[in-house]
Amino acid sequence: MVQTPMTRERLFALREEIARLEGSSVAAARQEALAGESGHAKRKDSHRLSLDVPALDGALEGGLPLDGLCEIRSQLMRDAPAVTGFALALAALLQRKAGQDRSPVLWISDTVTAMETGIPYALGLADFGLRPERFLHAAPRRLEEALWLAETAVESGAFLVSILEVKGNPAHFGLTESRRLSLRARAAGRPLLLLRQSAEEEASSAAFRFLVEPAPAAIRFLPDRSILGGSIGNPVFRLTLEKSRNPAPLSLFLEWNPHDRQFFSVNKPEHARVPLKRAAHSGPHLSASADRPDSPQDMGPVLAFDQAS
Amino acid sequence: MRLTALDEAAEAIGLKKNQGVAEARAIYPKLDIAEEDLGADRRLLDGIADWCDRYTPLVALDGPDGLFLDITGSSHLFGGENALLKDILLRLFQMGLDARGAISSAPGLSWAASRFGSGGVIADEEMEQVLAPLPVASLRLAENTVAALQKLGLKRVGDIIAAPRAPLARRFGAHLLLRLDQALGRDEEPVSPRRPVASLSAERRLAEPVQTEEDILSLTGQIALSLKASLEERGAGGRAFELMLFRVDGRVFRIAAGASQPLRDPKRIAALFSERLQAVHDDLDAGYGFEILRLNVMRHEAFDAAQEDFDGDRQKDVSLSTFVDRVSARLGADCLQSFHMRESHVPERAVTAVPAIDGLSSGKRPAASGFSWSRSERPLRLFRQPESVEVSAAEVPEGPPESFRWRRILHRVCRSQGPERLAMEWWIDGTDVRARDYFRIEDDTGHRFWIYREGLYGQMPPPRWFMHGVFA
Repeated sequence: MVQTPMTRERLFALREEIARLEGSSVAAARQEALAGESGHAKRKDSHRLSLDVPALDGALEGGLPLDGLCEIRSQLMRDAPAVTGFALALAALLQRKAGQDRSPVLWISDTVTAMETGIPYALGLADFGLRPERFLHAAPRRLEEALWLAETAVESGAFLVSILEVKGNPAHFGLTESRRLSLRARAAGRPLLLLRQSAEEEASSAAFRFLVEPAPAAIRFLPDRSILGGSIGNPVFRLTLEKSRNPAPLSLFLEWNPHDRQFFSVNKPEHARVPLKRAAHSGPHLSASADRPDSPQDMGPVLAFDQAS
Repeated sequence: MRLTALDEAAEAIGLKKNQGVAEARAIYPKLDIAEEDLGADRRLLDGIADWCDRYTPLVALDGPDGLFLDITGSSHLFGGENALLKDILLRLFQMGLDARGAISSAPGLSWAASRFGSGGVIADEEMEQVLAPLPVASLRLAENTVAALQKLGLKRVGDIIAAPRAPLARRFGAHLLLRLDQALGRDEEPVSPRRPVASLSAERRLAEPVQTEEDILSLTGQIALSLKASLEERGAGGRAFELMLFRVDGRVFRIAAGASQPLRDPKRIAALFSERLQAVHDDLDAGYGFEILRLNVMRHEAFDAAQEDFDGDRQKDVSLSTFVDRVSARLGADCLQSFHMRESHVPERAVTAVPAIDGLSSGKRPAASGFSWSRSERPLRLFRQPESVEVSAAEVPEGPPESFRWRRILHRVCRSQGPERLAMEWWIDGTDVRARDYFRIEDDTGHRFWIYREGLYGQMPPPRWFMHGVFA
């Protein structure tokens, strides 16, 4: 297509305008425009963390933004380990991709969640693919302190990723606070993961929100492709992208390989049973009891006497 | 009930210490009596001792009602010993305290002169002359020794100085002569300061007191600047700092702050206190303002000046340690932790949490080689205390449970991996503690747990099951 310089200039201006409206980087938009018409697929700048899962990366417009807030939530407190795992897997992936950058990972824990599901365990972190010597754990007592910590950490730029864990949807952590954190993260160019354990969907300033649920772990294969019995393989998460620019909700199973520090998309594990929604009271349903009155008789013939003549 | 202390008016009436209250009331019916509060007296004395820090950092408490100040090397700052003593006594008098003081080369003599003599500055050559007319009680002796001496007619210290030493020592013990020698400066008597002495300190005296936080911080920065040269001289940087704020009315505030790396940069030192002031904001009552600010370096360490490299990696280290310092100053050192491995196979002992402020600078990363023994995967989150789990049916003798109830929810076990048997450490726990069999368990909803059985089936007492961690 032949473009006159005038229309080109106009196009650039419009693109920048759109980028500004969308909140993405203006510089990136300009670069993209200069690179030509190759579209979204080519936009893989350094400010995105690609998860190497094409379906997910596509929905995330190239990967997880590294200069912003991203929310990960669990529905129930007992799903908190899965959220922990997904967030730490992202951190491990980031550590692998960062290469020379030896900045630590900061975990800001929440008092209640720490009591409910424990605190991160260094040996477990090592088994999960993280470097425990580059891991700092902060245990603030109150939410205000946690927010201050997260803000300071992101601002300092000293951390590869800061992870803030919050229980539920506290009243003191609304849209204003999340907007503030998000702006700090964008200004500092550092990622902030917000983990909401046992929380509802809530309007926030995060670019993306994931819902993580546990899924049965992968099968461990022996070299001859037979299944190793009595073992539990790599963790699998059921990931739902609840909030994104992409209107279609995305749900997929992701396997994390701690050894290679890599995500894999897996099909719905066929050995997995459907998460049973068990009734509160187990046991067979009994037939109706026998000694109660029978179903009510028809009323009419009893009450309505024949009309007296 | 007896009188333990009297004010001037009561003394003028003729009341004495140790007199019964009833007797004193009989002498003077309008007597106003307050019960003795040793704790309050002590706090007052502590407060005065804090206030005296402005003259010298070496302040020692002496009994319930006295202070020793070691003014070696600091009297010239106040225009000589005479001026110093006058200044202390005048200021204490203005605060409403009746204080007496003496300056001499021996703490014992100063004690005697201020309590029994006329006080003042005593030159070295007139020590004996001053001490001789004082009563023997001025030698800080036990009461019965004083009584025995007086019974023998040795009423003045001069009598003892003149007497032959050997018989005295035989009769009253070596302590009497020790006290005498100490009072005459023949024997060294150290004054032990009540607080650790700072290795370096600098202060700023203000003509006009300051009140606001910004003023305090900017002054702290200026003081830190004056400390910088001495730190550089020693090739050191401070790890622990203390800011002392002397309020106009005599109250003294001490604010301590630590750094994760040896610090010299005045800006960063001031920044430490900016967070601390935020944290102690409510406790710090500026009142009419602070007149003296002093910055002490309580602990310093070698400052390894590294050359800046081009890629700015060091800049990142600086921002990390600044962050650690800020957080530790504001939320306490325990808030931010790094994990250190220890050589132990017991899960809860294998990792210790070290305050990041100490962990960053120690630099010695534990060797990973110590953990090469084969072990199964460890959970991502570990409970502080293992939680009891109710297991109704398990594969005997050493298998995983079939289902278990934890926090009132029944989990059906789908897959399991284990057991991994961990015996407890007999050199710590003794031999009575039962071994643990750890299982990695996945339930039918995909949750993964780390549970263990303590003990074995078929043994008494029966084994118990615990939840120790969760996997992702």
